[in-house]
Amino acid sequence: MGQLNDLRKFTGASKYVLDEELAKIVNISMALELPLLVKGEPGTGKTMLAHAIAEALGMRLIVLNVKSSMKLVDALYQYDTLTRLNDSRFGDSKRDVSKIEDYIRMGKIGQAFVSEERVVLLIDEIDKADTDFQDDMLDVLDQMEFDIIEIDKTIKAKKRPVVIITSNAKKDLSDPFLGRCNFHHIAFPEPEMMKRIVQVHFPDIDRELMESAVRTFYRLREIKGVEKKPSTRELVNWIRALRADPEFRVRDLIKGEVPYLGVLFKKSPDYAVAQASVARFKV
Amino acid sequence: MFVDFFYMLKKVGIPVSPTSFLRLHAALKMGLINSIDDLYVGARTILVKSERYFDLYDQVFAHRFHGIEFKDPDEFELSEVARALLEEWLKDPQGLAHALGVNEEELLKLTPDELIQYFLERLKEQTEAHHGGNRWIGTRGTSPVGHSGYHPGGMRVGGASGNKSAVKVALERRYRDYSQEGPLTESQMGEALKRLRNMVPVGPKDKVNIDKTVYATMKNGGEIEIVFDRSMRDRLKVVLAIDNGGWSMDPYIDLVQTLFNYARAQFKDLKTFFFHNTIYDYLWEDPPRRYKPYPVDQLIHLDPETRFVIVGDASMAPYELMARDGSIYVEERSGRPSIERLKFVAATFRHAIWINPRLADEWPHTPTINYIREIFPMFELTLDGLEKAVSHMMLKH
Repeated sequence: MGQLNDLRKFTGASKYVLDEELAKIVNISMALELPLLVKGEPGTGKTMLAHAIAEALGMRLIVLNVKSSMKLVDALYQYDTLTRLNDSRFGDSKRDVSKIEDYIRMGKIGQAFVSEERVVLLIDEIDKADTDFQDDMLDVLDQMEFDIIEIDKTIKAKKRPVVIITSNAKKDLSDPFLGRCNFHHIAFPEPEMMKRIVQVHFPDIDRELMESAVRTFYRLREIKGVEKKPSTRELVNWIRALRADPEFRVRDLIKGEVPYLGVLFKKSPDYAVAQASVARFKV
Repeated sequence: MFVDFFYMLKKVGIPVSPTSFLRLHAALKMGLINSIDDLYVGARTILVKSERYFDLYDQVFAHRFHGIEFKDPDEFELSEVARALLEEWLKDPQGLAHALGVNEEELLKLTPDELIQYFLERLKEQTEAHHGGNRWIGTRGTSPVGHSGYHPGGMRVGGASGNKSAVKVALERRYRDYSQEGPLTESQMGEALKRLRNMVPVGPKDKVNIDKTVYATMKNGGEIEIVFDRSMRDRLKVVLAIDNGGWSMDPYIDLVQTLFNYARAQFKDLKTFFFHNTIYDYLWEDPPRRYKPYPVDQLIHLDPETRFVIVGDASMAPYELMARDGSIYVEERSGRPSIERLKFVAATFRHAIWINPRLADEWPHTPTINYIREIFPMFELTLDGLEKAVSHMMLKH
């Protein structure tokens, strides 16, 4: 029972519903000091996981949002030549122009390494970057050190960060990359789990509304021929919309009406398909 | 330990590496795995690197741990692992040394034979360290994490493990939909669409961009640098011919049509035709293949640059393809065998391909697939196949 209370505290505080399996995986990865690669459909809470870990363990969270144009060195450090040039001309700063080190700024990975405390490093959407970036980054995370070429200095991680990597792609990452990570795939939540997630977002939600909204939502997800199925995020927004509408009655949902369909299906061909199917809901 | 489990995983085709196997052992040694449930989750996260193998893993796990007593690995099994470790060592010495927790340099000094011996000893050591009693899984770990150990730094999870055993969970086969063994499924639609988005025309780089040229030249300090742009090309025309006869194709018709319809915006023109099994004198514009015939001879009026995509399982009785009156429909018997018509299509459109929902390893067993493959380049209806098909169609012959 005590454990159950802990769980409530945890989920309540962080707006994240952690399933037991995932918690085990996080714990194993932390103990083995391996990065954890998390894959899954959009809206299954991959990014939120890192936030939840940071919150639960009271660690600072550093987020590296990977962009397609990104080079690895950007994530490690930047050498700010422009400021140095400016300083050398006008000399009105406290920095020492002859000391290059003053002009080195840490990138996100660099920050995680120099931090005095253990941090959670979230590398979000790694699949956006090219394979070279991915492999080189894993090298750095493996060694827990990198070199700053300009000043010939090696930065070593003071405290090994907890590394969480997320990926959207259904295509696999490269083998060497996978070889150095633990892996988990977050499946789309079951209706029961989804109800708990909804409850975390709307603690005071009416039971009947929640039941029918979740039921309708899963029914909508079954519509065939849709490019992007509605995910958790859409469901939460949709419930928010329903609750904000004074005209809305739960009975409408039960009768098979689906107001604000556009919140759930955002692409116009999807919307058209969904609308046609919803018309058939009413019996 | 679990050597047979490791090899079972390997045998069913899950790419498991010895390094990760060692990591699993490290996890056992650290007392992170205290029950069969932990083992199920732990071994999966450490060994299996893609959700497409989760389903296979579930099956192997259920098979291996379903009411079976654990027994000691024998000498032979251990030497098998040691040999696998040696192979891994040759590929990635650093990774392996790290997984074993030893210095790479030390291992470098050993000869291969000595290495095998060394690995064997290490494996035995781990085996012995781990079975107090007849249980395989370390029971008295002082785990820093997990819910039976207590440690201020670990994440705590509530709830006793509940009512389902790991084997039961594994038997549920929750990940069946994610396995990518089979042909394209509904859930892969978005990903498949991304592949199709590569179907855009690429013209030669032969137009001078004056603005950019001036800029680049100035940047170059006056040294002339000419910048070329790609010349614009008209968007592609696509003809989609789908075999919609017979139940074997049913699951794929909607899928393929939806797929191409979504990609439609990037095509100049998308025409869809239907046929049954193979093409004779007519293609049909209506799915029941009854009201709107389109003579195959008319195809010659279409732009020869059209990408002609045929989707079908290409599986039929050989006479349907070869015989002069092969069609199973009497009114279609015109005296020309279907194979001639297919050759005609291939000759008319140089970018014609065949996409087959049956997987490539089944192809050699069906004679008609072999005949058709000689006429059209054939690709599987899978994500990878689609990718290859698209890049083939974009080739300049």
